[in-house]
Amino acid sequence: MPRLFLIDAKWEGEIKLTDQLKNYLKKENPKSIDLFASVQFSDLSNFIKELEKLKIKINLSKAKRTDKPLQILGCDCYPDSFQKELNSDLILYIGDGMFHPKALVFATNKPITIFDPINNQVKILTKKDIEKELIVKKRNIRKYLNAEKIGILVTVKPGQQYLNSAEKLKEQLKKEGKKSYIFINDNINLFNLENYPFIKAWINTACPRIGTDDIVNTDYTIINLREALNPIKYLEDLENKNE
Amino acid sequence: MYKLELDKLINEIKKQKYKKILIQLPDGMKNKANIVADSIEENTDAKAFIWFGDCYGACDLPSGMDILNIDLIVQWGHNKFNKEMW
Repeated sequence: MPRLFLIDAKWEGEIKLTDQLKNYLKKENPKSIDLFASVQFSDLSNFIKELEKLKIKINLSKAKRTDKPLQILGCDCYPDSFQKELNSDLILYIGDGMFHPKALVFATNKPITIFDPINNQVKILTKKDIEKELIVKKRNIRKYLNAEKIGILVTVKPGQQYLNSAEKLKEQLKKEGKKSYIFINDNINLFNLENYPFIKAWINTACPRIGTDDIVNTDYTIINLREALNPIKYLEDLENKNE
Repeated sequence: MYKLELDKLINEIKKQKYKKILIQLPDGMKNKANIVADSIEENTDAKAFIWFGDCYGACDLPSGMDILNIDLIVQWGHNKFNKEMW
């Protein structure tokens, strides 16, 4: 296996508390903020000092998978993805894309304020923006519960490879009287699912965003490993999210 | 717009004497692939190769690179992560 060298690719600009963001915060008047960023925007010590001058307490919650406080990854999309609960008045994400803040909405079910320092824009992402994904996710878990032949997808990419868990799930399904098959590939391309019409529900063991975002672009029933191991709990959680 | 940190990379390649480098850039930085490849080949003895497809994170490493004798994969825009165990 080759060695791996990682470069943060930090944004070259300075992340400042602009008037645009200041006015927004004045209007919202939070006393505390859970602050997150993607790695490119994670040098925030001066920005935090500026926020603290506004008498706002900054909570740096750490996502379990990340190496640094306040950094978030796209796979941090479950309520237990963080080392502590996100209880601040406002969740603020610093970055220029939607992929990471969307993970925060999935995880918290709360509105996420996005500050894009490149374009000096403030946007809000709410659960309304993930409504379609939640509907399909619930539908897929129900279909999985009724499916008798199940396909378990495993990638060979080392960072996302969960063959042991797939085998564990296969055993669990066997005890439940269900037949399952493990499919291995280096890239999970949903177009390949049509080649296996005998499979009625698919379990994705690779990147959880496949079973969260990509499901709205296919009619196939796909859920993530996590939901497959405990479908009733996740179905209840999703029902509660709609309240 | 984003720091490529090529000096850091060139030093690492020279220090470790890597010979075949795979460049993996996120979509928003793929238009810099030629700059990175040229810099590697002009400043070191290594050959540079560019990953054509997606790269969503440090978890998204391509397999089979050892067959091609790639001895270093370089990713931009990602850092170390802790793999969740089930």
